[in-house]
Amino acid sequence: MRTRPAARAAQYVAVICYLIFLGFPLLWLISSSLKSPQEFASITPSILPKHPNLSNFTDALEEQGLVRSMWNSLQISVASTVLVLVVSLPVAYALARFRSRLRPLTNGWILVSQVFPVILIVIPLFMILRPLHLTNTIPGVVIVYMVWSMPFALWMLQGYVAAVPRELEEAASVDGASRLRTIVSIVMPLLRPGLIATAMFTFISAWNEFFFALVLLQDPELKTLPLVLARFVGAEGQVQFGPLAAASVLATVPSLVFFAFLQRRLTSGLLSGAVKG
Amino acid sequence: MLRKPIIALLAASALVTLAACGSGDDKSGSGDSGSTEKVTLKFQSLAFQKTTVAATKKIVADWNAANPNIQVEYVQGSWDSVHDQLVTQFQGGTAPDVIQDESADITGFANQGYLADLSQYLSQETKDAVSPGVWETVSKDGKVFAAPTLLQSYVVFGNTALLKQAGVATTGDSLSWDDLQANAKKLTAGGKYGLGWGLKSPTATVLNLGMNFDGAFFEGTGRDAKAKIGDAELEVPKRIHSMAYTDKSIDPTSLTQSGSDVLPGFFGGKYAMIVGGNYAAQQIVEQAPKGFQWEVLPPLKGTSEKQAANPQTLSVPAEGKHIKQAAQFIDYFMKADNLAAVGQGDWLIPTTKAARDVIAKETGGKNGWTQTLASGEELTKAPFQSVENYPKWKDQIATPALQEFLANKIDLAALGKKLNDGWGQVNS
Amino acid sequence: MSAATRTVAPKQAPKRGRPKQNREAIFLFLPALLPVLLLSVYPLIRGIALGFTDARAGLNVDTNFIGFGNFGKLLHNDLFWSSFKIGLIWTLAVTILQFVAALGLALLLNTNLRFRGVARTLALIPWAMPPVVVAIMWRLLLHPTNGPVNEILQNLHLTDHPINFLGDFSTALPAVIVVGIWVGMPMTTVTLLAGLQSIDRSLYEAAAVDGASAWSQFWNITLPQLKTVIVAITSLDMIWNFNSFGLVYVLTAGGPGGKTMLPMLFAYNEAFRYGNFGMAAAMGDVMVVIIIVFLGFYLRNRLRSEA
Repeated sequence: MRTRPAARAAQYVAVICYLIFLGFPLLWLISSSLKSPQEFASITPSILPKHPNLSNFTDALEEQGLVRSMWNSLQISVASTVLVLVVSLPVAYALARFRSRLRPLTNGWILVSQVFPVILIVIPLFMILRPLHLTNTIPGVVIVYMVWSMPFALWMLQGYVAAVPRELEEAASVDGASRLRTIVSIVMPLLRPGLIATAMFTFISAWNEFFFALVLLQDPELKTLPLVLARFVGAEGQVQFGPLAAASVLATVPSLVFFAFLQRRLTSGLLSGAVKG
Repeated sequence: MLRKPIIALLAASALVTLAACGSGDDKSGSGDSGSTEKVTLKFQSLAFQKTTVAATKKIVADWNAANPNIQVEYVQGSWDSVHDQLVTQFQGGTAPDVIQDESADITGFANQGYLADLSQYLSQETKDAVSPGVWETVSKDGKVFAAPTLLQSYVVFGNTALLKQAGVATTGDSLSWDDLQANAKKLTAGGKYGLGWGLKSPTATVLNLGMNFDGAFFEGTGRDAKAKIGDAELEVPKRIHSMAYTDKSIDPTSLTQSGSDVLPGFFGGKYAMIVGGNYAAQQIVEQAPKGFQWEVLPPLKGTSEKQAANPQTLSVPAEGKHIKQAAQFIDYFMKADNLAAVGQGDWLIPTTKAARDVIAKETGGKNGWTQTLASGEELTKAPFQSVENYPKWKDQIATPALQEFLANKIDLAALGKKLNDGWGQVNS
Repeated sequence: MSAATRTVAPKQAPKRGRPKQNREAIFLFLPALLPVLLLSVYPLIRGIALGFTDARAGLNVDTNFIGFGNFGKLLHNDLFWSSFKIGLIWTLAVTILQFVAALGLALLLNTNLRFRGVARTLALIPWAMPPVVVAIMWRLLLHPTNGPVNEILQNLHLTDHPINFLGDFSTALPAVIVVGIWVGMPMTTVTLLAGLQSIDRSLYEAAAVDGASAWSQFWNITLPQLKTVIVAITSLDMIWNFNSFGLVYVLTAGGPGGKTMLPMLFAYNEAFRYGNFGMAAAMGDVMVVIIIVFLGFYLRNRLRSEA
């Protein structure tokens, strides 16, 4: 398509406006994390820090509980990601390959789990986990996250499974390989990119999750990063902007890195799920 | 579809496996606790200023050194979320052994049966050290649900240079509301305001200072309490409003901000005075630029200098396994030197005379401590502290209504009506 | 696409070998089934039922079935309904504005602009950030004394005094909506972009030959071709926005004066601040009904007009 120069210029202007809207907030956050307390006390803020320094980061890392909460978040995110993949892969395979009656049920459940407000689930969840001694524990949060991120993992994975040509498996089974062997030696390697993408998504959603953690974790030693950050900002009369911004930057790094990896796959992964779902 | 028996079976087996993993994480020891058995108590502290955190941790460390069989573990909580956190902790059976909160917040928990009656556990020494009026704020029907530790009052901070420049006197036993208004007006000029007042959460301030004019807000106790909103109750918001919108001596933006948000304006000379809880002194000390001179003005006075005594508290959960030991730790915490140390850290007023004397001696009354301790003399129990649904009324009714009034969106009559009618709604 | 294929496909499935396949499928489902039943299906059912009880916080309190008692009380609870109204304004405003903004960006990224790869990556930033961090960041941006937004507005003389966007009655909800749009744009943009890229180029070429203007191409080709994607993503956005919690919880906690009290926040407070679990579940029940009615209406109209 040919475009007139004026229209073309307008397009560039529009893109730049969009990028400022979407990108400037993060820029400001990073710049704030490098500012000194005196700069925050001044009434006229500047976009770039006058004397950039990392003292906010060291302050934030000294802050009681922040490092521990990062460790908690990491444990929870990794554990729930592994569990989700282990449990979802067989289901995704079955959904993509078999015309089972469980299929409409599963799809129904995926839909329902999106529609229902979490407040309805969290109160009974709390009551179920209490007698099992799983409230206020990391394993409790891990299994909740596992169930809670399954819909999205299934959604993505079944698309990837469906993209693996059926003929490959049929050829293997003609050669006498068992179905399990076929899955492990033929389907799995082809699924690797899909598994990685799904794993990253699951990790990010666990890393970012707030609500379940808020209700299920009360012990300060067990709190996840988002909880600690929210407390950090909420404390009446005690908001220290510099360390807060620094901690926020640190909390964003893992997700940003994964997203940078994912961004090529993002379109195809989501769409394949959408088309097949 | 799967048949019902299968589902039941699966659910049952799942329960068993999960219970098995769960029990492995059960940290708390079982069995009854004799005095010789070693126990570990969790102490959920809400201290948030560096100085207070340090003072509290030192108390814990000293205690642990002296009591090898009753070890206390310091756990950091936060004022901002303490209520929600306690609701979930009590409900989940995971409440810590020693809980810090404030008197107005624990009435509901006491009524729900979550808090242990400490009257038989606390030592006579502790009981004698605190005045009966303050004990009343944490008691009901002869039961004691907490030990009161520190009291807060609201005080006026001034920028010394600006006050001098304008010739505003800052001595005397008290500062009447009329004088406050006149001073603020005098100090307002050229884009600068006489007063900055962080009233984002206005309810506590208005109810506490309301006692200056004998504002009661409630009659009766528990669930039967009735709202009582008259001229006396509305006096404080009325005066703040007229300063902000008639005199224009309070920056209206500051009314929508939190206490700490107005500090940069105070440091920068935009506000000559600010009103805040006395704990703000610690933040001023920490954050003010070099050479910034400040002072605490005398206590505010309406018909009296009374403010509500809403002490910080230490409680023990009724389901706690080590109530006796927890009470022993509380006794220790209440000792004069300890209370004085945390009080100094937060610039709050200890509930015991002995601890107040320690502070007066150690500070020599400087940095506004004379005025701060003086303001503590006039603290008395307010009716709202024994009203069970006060926290809900505060969140859903009083705070929004006061915010609207202070933003000049509704008039005084509408405010009174909202405060009154809203009580009927939340207390149903 | 999805609705159509899903209903048609099973009929074409071969009948033979079905029993065996079913059994095998069940085994694959088994490890997922236990946790899902225990931690998703069962809590959901119990949560719905909880709305018909007087469950509340307290040591050794009994829970009783009270029928529609909670719902009767809710009818007279003005605060709940005003929170509901706020929830609807928030949901519709965010979903619609987000969609319009995202469509614009997706169209731009679908042209052959230079640096569009970079632009696409940058545009994903909000998606990658934890909602709590997003809220913290915007609190810094909108801060009345330290925030750049006020600084810029004052330098441009659009306002003479700093505005406390998140603390002022008239600006709090719009400010929160802007943040909501910001946070959800990437997801919507990526989905729409994927939809745009799957449109057959030859349709445009044919239209260009007929001399159709860019506008008429957009109106007659792009939009109709995108319809399913649009319906899918706006429905999802709508559900997610209506149920959103963390962002606003940290931004304003529902304030000032309840002006940003979304229904989820309101129900959360009812349960975990005031300890009225039964009442909070009843609020959840009402929310579910509203969402389903709303979605049913929306999807029926959209999909019918497509057919």
